[in-house]
Amino acid sequence: MANVIEIKNLSKNYGKNRGVIDVSLEVKEGDIFGFIGPNGAGKSTTIRSMLGFLKFNEGSIKILGMDSVKDREKILANVGYMPSEAWFYNTMKVSEVIKYAADIRGLDCSKEAEKLCERLKVDTGKRIKELSLGNRKKVSIVCAMQHRPKLFIFDEPTGGLDPLMQKHFFELINEYVSEGATCLLSTHVLSEVNRYCKNAALMREGHLTMLDSPKIDDDTFLKFYEDEEA
Amino acid sequence: MKNIFLQEMKLNIKNFLIWSLTVGGLGLACIMLYQSMQGDMKEMADAFSNMGAFSDAFGMSTLSIATMKGFFATEVGTVHGLGSAMFAAILAINILSKEEEGHSGEFLLSFPVSRSKVITAKGLCVLFFLVLFTILCSVLYVSGFWMLEEEIPTAEFTKFMLCQFLMNIEIAAICFAISSCSGKNRMGLGIGIAMLCYFYDLIGRVVPDLKESLVAGPFSYANASEIFSGNEISSLAVLIAVIVISAAVAFTYYYYNRRDLAA
Repeated sequence: MANVIEIKNLSKNYGKNRGVIDVSLEVKEGDIFGFIGPNGAGKSTTIRSMLGFLKFNEGSIKILGMDSVKDREKILANVGYMPSEAWFYNTMKVSEVIKYAADIRGLDCSKEAEKLCERLKVDTGKRIKELSLGNRKKVSIVCAMQHRPKLFIFDEPTGGLDPLMQKHFFELINEYVSEGATCLLSTHVLSEVNRYCKNAALMREGHLTMLDSPKIDDDTFLKFYEDEEA
Repeated sequence: MKNIFLQEMKLNIKNFLIWSLTVGGLGLACIMLYQSMQGDMKEMADAFSNMGAFSDAFGMSTLSIATMKGFFATEVGTVHGLGSAMFAAILAINILSKEEEGHSGEFLLSFPVSRSKVITAKGLCVLFFLVLFTILCSVLYVSGFWMLEEEIPTAEFTKFMLCQFLMNIEIAAICFAISSCSGKNRMGLGIGIAMLCYFYDLIGRVVPDLKESLVAGPFSYANASEIFSGNEISSLAVLIAVIVISAAVAFTYYYYNRRDLAA
């Protein structure tokens, strides 16, 4: 299987503050890769460096075989990203946001968007400012999935979603992955990693450690967090 | 890029309508006031033209406010100059930074568009609104002249509106550059910049020692009383404006393409 994500010796700092230090990571095609770690460990910094929101200090990132800096636009055409905070333009209607996301990609995603809205029970007539966090997240999922990307990057996607929607969300991921997509899932939820991920890595204090298996028990999982506090 | 441009148009249309109709409407109201004040204007004009440095500052020593041309230059010139400068500043200063302020930056920049294209789309949107603003205000002012059946000083009027448009672009470009550095709403700063430029010009015309440095300010080449008096626009002032605009736009592309974007 080819590497969909290939990060080599990535370092990013925010002046005197640590971001991530010497992170190397490989995610293979067809994987659902769990990315776990305490708040502030560097998960979002890694993801945001991959997507070009942050300018990293050292290292290299290849996504779908392309350089994350030089080929950013080509990469993003094949990536569906869902940020941890699902924010849009408040005055827009849900249907307008979804269409805008497709139009800006130059694609007609209406059929796939309709299917996703039906599965996730998205009310497309409401304005963004009327939505709860959970409902905004559902809109974000539709925007990330409607163009059927090769790589999904989800940053804490299930916070705010009710259990039924969480189930539908993972069903959708499994469907897309079975059709050849790859998924990087940053999460704090152990059950998600245990149940859905094929591989996982732990991020702590800016350092990344590959886990032998994503099947972790509660005690081990909590220890990652306790160690950070200590 | 087209979609970002259209989206920005949608987001700013209300702001544009409020500002253009307010500034243009105020200008039109000023023009309409001329007829009712015309009878008492002669004495007032004489008094205003003998107030030394202040008469110079507001152009009343060279133009008589008893004439339509002079009245337009001193009254509408001030209203339009200040109003359009504030509109340009408000429009430009948040256009990039609002994405971080409103946390929509990650949504926008996770699409396959480069930061340069985002800057271009938003910059063109600012420019487009400034064109529309100038046209709408011009239409309102011209309609005022028509309603009063006064002759329009076409050459001076066209020159004035074009210079004001250039001044608006200059202020917008400075604010656009600030917007590229900031992740917060800086509307107060934008209004402050517009006011500062206006008062810099005003003070420069009152204080003789500052007259030489007037060319550095964007109001120097857009001053209504100078234009309607038939004075030549300083080519150095226009050159400085072009340099400031180019430098601000170049800085925006350079800096916004290199900075980290907040979540």
